[in-house]
Amino acid sequence: MRIDSSTGKLEYPPAENPLLIHSILSLALMALLALFASVGRAAASDPADVAFFEQKVRPLLIERCHACHSVASDKKKGGLLLDSRAGILRGGDSGPAAVAGDPSKSLMVQALHYTQTDLQMPPKGKLAQREIETLTDWVRRGLYYPESSGNAKRERRIDIAAGKQFWSFQPLRDVAVPKVKHNDWPTGRIDHFTLAAMESRQLLPAGPAARATLIRRAKFDLLGLPPTPEEVDRFVLNNRPNAFAELIDGWLKSPHYGERWGRYWLDLARYCDIGEAWMETKGLPYRYRDWVVRALNEDMPYQQFVRLQLAADQMNGARPEDRAALGFIGLSPTYWKELQLPVEIIKTIVSDEYEERIHTLSSTFLGLNMACARCHDHKNDPITVEDYYALLGVFASTRQADQALSAGVNGLAVAMAWEEVGKLEVEIKKLSADKAAASVAKMEGLKGKVAQLKKTPGYDALLVPGAVDATLTVVAAKGTHGSQVVYQDKPQDMPIEIRGNPNKPGAVVPRRFVSVLSSGEPRRFEHGSGRIDLANAMVEQAGPLMARVMVNRVWKSHFGTGLVETPSDFGTQGERPSHPELLEDLASRFVSNGWSLKWLHREIMLSATYQQASGTPPAGDESLRYHTRFGRRRLDIEAWRDALLVAGGKLDVTVGGPPQELHLETNHRRTIYGTVKRRELTDLLRLHDFPDPVTHSPSRQPTITPLQQLFILNSPLLTQQAGLLAQRLKREAGAAPAARIDLAYRLLFGRNPTQEERKTGLDFVGDNLDSTWRDYAHVLLASNEFQFID
Amino acid sequence: MKTQPQPSRRRMIQSTGGGLGLLALADMLHAAPEKTPQYAPKAKRVIQLFMNGGPFQCDLFDPKPDLNKFAGQRPPAADLRTERPTGALMAVPFKFSKHGRSGLEISELLPNTAKCADDLCVVRSMYTDNPNHGPALFMMNNGTLTPNRPTLGAWLSYGLGSENANLPNYVVCCPGRPVRFAELWSNGFLPGEHQGMYVNHSNLNPQQMIPFLKNSTLSPEQQMKQLELMRRLNKGHQAERPGDPNLEARIRTMETAYRMQIEASDAFDISREPLKVRESYGQGHFANGCLLARRLAERGVRFTQVYYGNGQPWDTHSNHTASTRTLCQDIDQPVAALLTDLKQRGLLEDTLVIWGGEFGRTPTTENADGRDHNPWGFTTWMAGGGVRGGMAYGATDEFGFRSVSDKVHVHDLHATILHLMGFDHEKLTYRYGGRDMRLTDVSGTIVRKILA
Repeated sequence: MRIDSSTGKLEYPPAENPLLIHSILSLALMALLALFASVGRAAASDPADVAFFEQKVRPLLIERCHACHSVASDKKKGGLLLDSRAGILRGGDSGPAAVAGDPSKSLMVQALHYTQTDLQMPPKGKLAQREIETLTDWVRRGLYYPESSGNAKRERRIDIAAGKQFWSFQPLRDVAVPKVKHNDWPTGRIDHFTLAAMESRQLLPAGPAARATLIRRAKFDLLGLPPTPEEVDRFVLNNRPNAFAELIDGWLKSPHYGERWGRYWLDLARYCDIGEAWMETKGLPYRYRDWVVRALNEDMPYQQFVRLQLAADQMNGARPEDRAALGFIGLSPTYWKELQLPVEIIKTIVSDEYEERIHTLSSTFLGLNMACARCHDHKNDPITVEDYYALLGVFASTRQADQALSAGVNGLAVAMAWEEVGKLEVEIKKLSADKAAASVAKMEGLKGKVAQLKKTPGYDALLVPGAVDATLTVVAAKGTHGSQVVYQDKPQDMPIEIRGNPNKPGAVVPRRFVSVLSSGEPRRFEHGSGRIDLANAMVEQAGPLMARVMVNRVWKSHFGTGLVETPSDFGTQGERPSHPELLEDLASRFVSNGWSLKWLHREIMLSATYQQASGTPPAGDESLRYHTRFGRRRLDIEAWRDALLVAGGKLDVTVGGPPQELHLETNHRRTIYGTVKRRELTDLLRLHDFPDPVTHSPSRQPTITPLQQLFILNSPLLTQQAGLLAQRLKREAGAAPAARIDLAYRLLFGRNPTQEERKTGLDFVGDNLDSTWRDYAHVLLASNEFQFID
Repeated sequence: MKTQPQPSRRRMIQSTGGGLGLLALADMLHAAPEKTPQYAPKAKRVIQLFMNGGPFQCDLFDPKPDLNKFAGQRPPAADLRTERPTGALMAVPFKFSKHGRSGLEISELLPNTAKCADDLCVVRSMYTDNPNHGPALFMMNNGTLTPNRPTLGAWLSYGLGSENANLPNYVVCCPGRPVRFAELWSNGFLPGEHQGMYVNHSNLNPQQMIPFLKNSTLSPEQQMKQLELMRRLNKGHQAERPGDPNLEARIRTMETAYRMQIEASDAFDISREPLKVRESYGQGHFANGCLLARRLAERGVRFTQVYYGNGQPWDTHSNHTASTRTLCQDIDQPVAALLTDLKQRGLLEDTLVIWGGEFGRTPTTENADGRDHNPWGFTTWMAGGGVRGGMAYGATDEFGFRSVSDKVHVHDLHATILHLMGFDHEKLTYRYGGRDMRLTDVSGTIVRKILA
């Protein structure tokens, strides 16, 4: 096995694939050409070397080496090219492949002999002895290799200055509001942009949505809850021009706003209540969830929201409770480190964790996946491998550790004291049954220790899984054959890991910001781990990108369709905006309005674009990218379950607090408070497009599957809520069946039933049994009208 | 060669965005429509028998006389680093003999499986990257050492869609919970419908296996009545909202769900098998799992994985030899019955059966009578759908420790499986994080010599 203990990216040639055949053909041709081309220079070469090379060596190289190590195959495994003398002498990640004339000093020869377990080539199996001798001989004879033009391709590095020209890396532009023909339609700036885009395509917007439709749409959208029949009535009858604005302003003050929009954020942050079994935390993850909800409710400026999640412990003026924001880092997935394994393997696992951190950080805040630059410069975006390791140094100097939500308290020390007290109390309990004098004395001793531990400063503080500055290194464990993880205080700059392999360190890269996002030289990170510097650099230097990414996320959550449909990829592989000027305008104004998300919601929801009717998309706008209609949407699992509980009259609207299992019939809390287990999602979430919380989820991917409908037909949740709804109808509408049906429609759909619907309902509940009413309520809750928003 | 168009980049963007692109709508319209692979597949479905914990190759399919000859010694070639310190070579007490027309060598521990020798394609030169269960399980399932990527079954479900809309596409059976549990059948960044459906078949009642399969209060007649009302209401709702494929999709999947209650009950109910068939599989959880897998494969489930048991039963760090005897007794008859049964039904030719663990075990000893994990070399066999039967491929060294010739990495196995299912592993991709992700990442070579 090659590089056994490394990244796990073992390297071997693709046998018999078309590429190889191609490379054999082209190399054979090249060989022929080279033979002619080299005639002129051949004077310096011994004809015997030429013949030896062409007859014996070259065929072997082509057949057994070039598939992975040649320009022609476009593969350069281990950084090594074996299609030129220079390439062999320059070597790859492990150093020069050969020393001309000295097989004993040539790595290539050692690899061929398969003597070392981590250096064996070709990786699929040892060559025949005769073949090994041929290649060894070739090295001994001086490594004759004729020049050819085909292998002169040089490695190309990223041009950062050119990279900065890409649209999403540019400073925000001021854009003029475009002129439109239908001047009477727009109600705000947004509408001018959308209408101009429509008009240029000979498209027209739909009329406004009916008021009952609009209020249902808007309340689900902003709060994730259905409007009450009274709210609907009031709004339908309110003809004041600013009635809708008043509604929105009122809801923006509701604590339920943060619950709805906080959940979107938690998808990005791969939030979970129960993580890996080995996570060393005593802190409660839900404090991070509640912090997100609260921050949104407070309309915390987005910049601040971002900065706190990276460095709340290091920011002047941050409130002690803001340390909960560090859950963004503290809840990062960790991978099991089996410490019986050697250092090389553990280092690889640690590197995989860093990759996850950088992926989540860059995708969430910057809409770029910088993890692609772990093994090589990013193939598509102007992110260099140095940029990656400059950021990696920050995470390599940060430890996931508990933070206390009180000033001046060392969360890690408190967590350790809790751990110790827990152990001692178990022992004390065991001893308490025993009346022997010795036991009593021992127990007293233990109790004394507990009392002492409880004096740890901040022992009663609230803890959250967070982050502290501390440097992780993996070292060989003394006296065993395994490893040990050690933390130190001093931050570290990390070396490039060649091809992502931490056991092949390259040049050290100082911690600094990403080149393409920096004005001038990338700013060096100098404070501790550099988390605070990173947070500041993102906000100050990558502000335009951050604003565009966030504005687009909010837009996509309101409309179902983004201005950019790849919300976590604003790089070259991502989609270009459907309305570039609109995105610029909104992002600029978002910034000038103090990065206020509430401002943004208001701006979007008060637009004519948002308030349109839904309907069949017209030709030319089939996917509604041009917003000629409002896109009908299915409720996501949170809004749908919450609406079920509202229908049954049982929703508990308490904000915040510990999570509860969602399968419990006694759980009447909003779905955001359901327990999220990273390793095993509960059926309700699993079946309904809830993202796997082990990884950053850019957006939900709605699916409609039979297993979901089985849930709707048969789950206790539906049966229970149907029963509650039936009781409620009886209680609130009285004995008359028609009145009950009317109430059901008003509660669930925000409208009265039609004559026919009423009659259909009356036919169904003909026997007027409670159980029949329950079955009827069940059907209404299962209907499309309940699940879809126009 | 005529190839089917691979889901295009544009299509990827639309569907990953979850937006309302036309093609994405088409996707929703059919919950998981049958899709055409990239080229003519050899196999349409997979049954993977997963010996979780890791069996020892030299006990079963990779005879090594030198191992017994040098037992008690630790020659330099046997000095490989594994998870724990190991001692000298430990002899294998089991005899091998040649079987079938092919003369494939199989251990006396598997007398029934040996009768299927001519169907087995034994890869003796497997290797993987990490000697620890979790990462090795991830590697075998998702091609990385970490838990956050889609698994093989999810990729197949994504690539192939459903052959039977009334059943889930990807089912994972285990009488208990394998180590790392649901992470082993994750959909990763693929849409949620591609996650494996976990079934604990230690209880054979289908209603216990599939969540929400039956309504506990309503009779089928009452439910039928409900469904009729639902149809009517939805139709009225839809009439005012013509041309919305999502509304239509939900109506149709509701009908499917109603039928599933019957069809899935049937598919998952092995008690409906004739006594003769049940007897041929024998008794025990693994036998039941194999029979269940056949019933599912027969009905079009794309990927059925059967874990041998709760935790990691093949992890024989001590008392290795005696445990192996018991474990083999447990699997021998069911495995043979499964292969024979599939063959008799004409299913083996387009069903790929895979047997193996996440790694192998060491020829050297641990705890006097145990064997440690061995990622350096181990055996996986395949049978049916497109592989050559009656052959052994590749080799480990003289002690069966390390794969040395025609080495097959897990990536290569994955590339080969995808190939058999009709996919170029480099082209079955999904755009995530700005990259076209694939099961084999940047590796993988099809093992052509084992293709039929």
